[in-house]
Amino acid sequence: MNKTIRNTIIYIVLTLVSITMLVPFIWMFLTAFKTTAETMQVDPFVIVPKIWQTQNFGNVIRAMDFVRLYINTLSMVALRILFAVVTATMSGYAFARLEFKGKKVMFAVVLLQMMIPVQIFIIPQYIMVSKLHLTNSIMGLVFPGVVSAFGTFLLRQAYMQLPKDIEEAARLDGCSIPQTFFFIMAPLTKSAMVALGIFTAVFAYKDLMWPMIVCPDNRATTLASALAKMNGQYQQKYPELMMAALISCVPMIVIYIIFQKQFIEGIATSGGKL
Amino acid sequence: MGKKLTSRQKSELIWGWIFIIPTMLGLFVLNIYPMIDTIKQSFYKTGDFGKGNKFVGLANYQKVLGDSEIWQSLWNTVKYAIVEVPISIVIALLLAVLLNKKLKGRDTFRTIFFLPMVVAPAAIAMVWKWLYNSNFGLINNVFHVRVNWISDPKIAIYSIAAIGIWSVIGYNMVLFLAGLQEVPRDYYEAASLDGANGWHQLVNITIPLISPTIFFVLVTRIIGAMQVFDLIYMMIDLNNPAWKKTQSLVFLFYKYSFEQSKKGYGATVVVVLLLVILVLTVVQLIGQKKWVHYD
Amino acid sequence: MKKKVLAILLSAVTVLSMIGCGNEAPAAAPEAPAQEEQAVAEEEAPQSIGSSVEGELSVTIWDEGQRPGLQQIVDDWSAESGIKATIQVVDWNNYWTLLEAGATGGELPDVFWMHSNVAQKYMENDQLLDLTDMIAASDKTDLNNYYEGIVKLYQLDGRQYAVPKDIDTIALWYNKTIFDEMGVPYPDDTWTWKDFAENAKKLTNDEHWGYAIAPGNNQEGYYNTIYSYGGYVISDDKKKSGMDDPKTIEAIKLFTDMIADGSCPDLATVSETAPNELLQAGKTAMCISGSWMLAGYRDNEYTAANCDVAVLPYTNDPSDRVSIYNGLGWAAAANTKNPEAAWSLIEYLTSKEGQLKQAELGVTMSAYIGTSDAWVNSVPAFNLNGHMDMLDAKLVFRPYSRDTTVWEDMMIEKLQDAWTGDKPVDEVCMDIAAEMNADLAEE
Repeated sequence: MNKTIRNTIIYIVLTLVSITMLVPFIWMFLTAFKTTAETMQVDPFVIVPKIWQTQNFGNVIRAMDFVRLYINTLSMVALRILFAVVTATMSGYAFARLEFKGKKVMFAVVLLQMMIPVQIFIIPQYIMVSKLHLTNSIMGLVFPGVVSAFGTFLLRQAYMQLPKDIEEAARLDGCSIPQTFFFIMAPLTKSAMVALGIFTAVFAYKDLMWPMIVCPDNRATTLASALAKMNGQYQQKYPELMMAALISCVPMIVIYIIFQKQFIEGIATSGGKL
Repeated sequence: MGKKLTSRQKSELIWGWIFIIPTMLGLFVLNIYPMIDTIKQSFYKTGDFGKGNKFVGLANYQKVLGDSEIWQSLWNTVKYAIVEVPISIVIALLLAVLLNKKLKGRDTFRTIFFLPMVVAPAAIAMVWKWLYNSNFGLINNVFHVRVNWISDPKIAIYSIAAIGIWSVIGYNMVLFLAGLQEVPRDYYEAASLDGANGWHQLVNITIPLISPTIFFVLVTRIIGAMQVFDLIYMMIDLNNPAWKKTQSLVFLFYKYSFEQSKKGYGATVVVVLLLVILVLTVVQLIGQKKWVHYD
Repeated sequence: MKKKVLAILLSAVTVLSMIGCGNEAPAAAPEAPAQEEQAVAEEEAPQSIGSSVEGELSVTIWDEGQRPGLQQIVDDWSAESGIKATIQVVDWNNYWTLLEAGATGGELPDVFWMHSNVAQKYMENDQLLDLTDMIAASDKTDLNNYYEGIVKLYQLDGRQYAVPKDIDTIALWYNKTIFDEMGVPYPDDTWTWKDFAENAKKLTNDEHWGYAIAPGNNQEGYYNTIYSYGGYVISDDKKKSGMDDPKTIEAIKLFTDMIADGSCPDLATVSETAPNELLQAGKTAMCISGSWMLAGYRDNEYTAANCDVAVLPYTNDPSDRVSIYNGLGWAAAANTKNPEAAWSLIEYLTSKEGQLKQAELGVTMSAYIGTSDAWVNSVPAFNLNGHMDMLDAKLVFRPYSRDTTVWEDMMIEKLQDAWTGDKPVDEVCMDIAAEMNADLAEE
């Protein structure tokens, strides 16, 4: 097929999918600058705000201590990424590449954890945190994310995908297991680590229930939970809700853009035959 | 085992355990202990605040078997998963393969497809409620149709699955992209020298090579879809005519355990869900030997 | 080269974390509560940064909208007592999870809101501080000064576990512009439920409905009518359902007829767009709302300009004008480390002074009889006498039992068939009564 035609088709497909993905965002953006009455009006719809209510931005910003919320949120996200990536890389490697007694049972436990709905953990974990007097603290926020079954499984799959002969070569060179892991294998799964980092960040960032319960104090909580509280039980201020949602998206998008650049192009080894 | 371990085996045993200990310790304390507690609860008629539990043996399970609401919810959950999982995987895989090539604007597209992942759930619900609203919604007004997207019991669960697809494409795509990075480049070079076309490359080289990643996505997405809750909880109210046809199992569990303080029965629902997911996962673990290529 | 640096970095981190295994507190420490007695675990606990800091009270509520006003009152108390107290907000759903977890683990906040849905459960399990003796000894608190239903709600076996905080009333909100346009006089205290239904028909055209029902919120709808008609939802001894009472059924029919003749939108419409949203969009002429909706209507420029509020209609005689009411209570944890301070705060918040301030600041109407007058002027855009006058109507406390949500959810679900017209109203109500009686027997 002609390359230009092919590229054109690719771009058309990508653009169409992009539009579908973006419609809700465009609407969020427009809503963020409307009056409450405009967001409720249905007949006819107000698509573009008559007067851009730029003060909505100020209202949201002023309603809370953003600097503090960002520090809390980023500390939690950073610590969770650190814990998850470190523990999951080690365990993922062990499950993929080492043979030891008890491995199958332990891996079953890892899978089992993912099968349980998270809601059942909330109350027991809250009790642990409050017994440790970690409520309203960063460690309290990080608590359920110190290890990651999801990450372990993800990294295990990544190691499984790597050609075996790299490792064989290292072993013949006299590398011990930790040396092989640290210097040879772990760097090759960087993309998976990045993916795990992205997901850990996103899931930690979006989670409302845990920070809401563990850090009810507005000074100690995360951005997402502070924003969620802004709307009263009966008072839906849609423009401010959307403005808040937009503001809270931004750091995640930045993190994602930085991270996804780390997707390194395929490793240049001559893997063995399949 | 009677046999003496070679030094290599011994070293693997020791390092294997050292590597997994932090993770396993965390999992046992944070997750497995609460899980065992929940399973235990399913054999009790629970009192309030963990006190005054009465052992009732299998009574909760007997009730589950005869509870049409539970079976309906299981069926709703399965319908959701059947739509969400395959469609989102196929779309994301194609996108990931396209976006793995050197392409102008690649990073922009990658970011756009990931965007739904970072939106607060409350905002997602609000946006989609507006898109779907039968009287005033965008979809009905643009296409001049009159469909009750989220209040018609026959289609509401699929409408919700569509939101599910929209929001997980980014997840699947990131994983596929990560998986694609670990494919040795020379495979492709060899293939294009052989003159393999795009489709041929995808089916015969890319998919087998990243099959461990595909397997991972499949397993985690099926688990995730079987646990669908947030979306339904936010989109469907108790007074929605589609209520009974959209309740998922986790939803039921939440209702019993958190809203009606019937913890024992709620725990039983979780165990049922766990068993279903377990079976699905074991089937996949066995089935993977047929199509997942580990090197 | 880059890869090598990364590898070294990574291995450094890995090694560090391995050495650090022992003091990786979160992974290792939580075993304590799992295996040992709770008391032991508490002693071992590290320095507290938690909610019960010595000498500071933790106060938890679920409504951010009320926080600023309440914090002002709390600060006044702090100035008097010298004890600091910070209000923490957890949204409605998570609030109950937090309390549940707190009660299970013995770590409830010092002072918090109680609600009719769960009060019974918390009182029966000795989770709330028994305030009876403190109330008896207080010269500020006299339970006769509060609306009776709310006082009783927080009572068990003659002991008082919470002091009423506020009261809500239900009233008829309407869109003046639509009334003018259709030439219908505004609703007033002469309206009967029949007038209401007839006028709703007159107010309906292609652009808007006359009235929109909230099928999921009984307090803002058919409960008022049921009691106004002389029916009931649950018997006084909480043993029997009143859903099969002919008058109850008649009251429900008022609304099903309105849906049938098109003056009220069908179930699908109101389940997708809540009635208060229809009012705010100018799509319904009337909507029955609780006083808690005030802030929402106030902050919407459209409703502020076009809407107002009147009392609910009556059935045969103004004396059967009914408002179903509910009220929160201020409660303290049974095991609070500082019961005197907790009581002192509750006493202050519910004293005449505190209740007056609450109304003045426009937080809510107050539960202390006669302190809410200031509230009427809190939003100039509306004539809030519509809500205030409902305090003089027949006040019926929101029907409840020990496990209210169980039968309430069931009722809302089953009534769907009545709203859609799939099943005759009598049949649906009989069915609900039977199942509700079974639920009540199990309590």
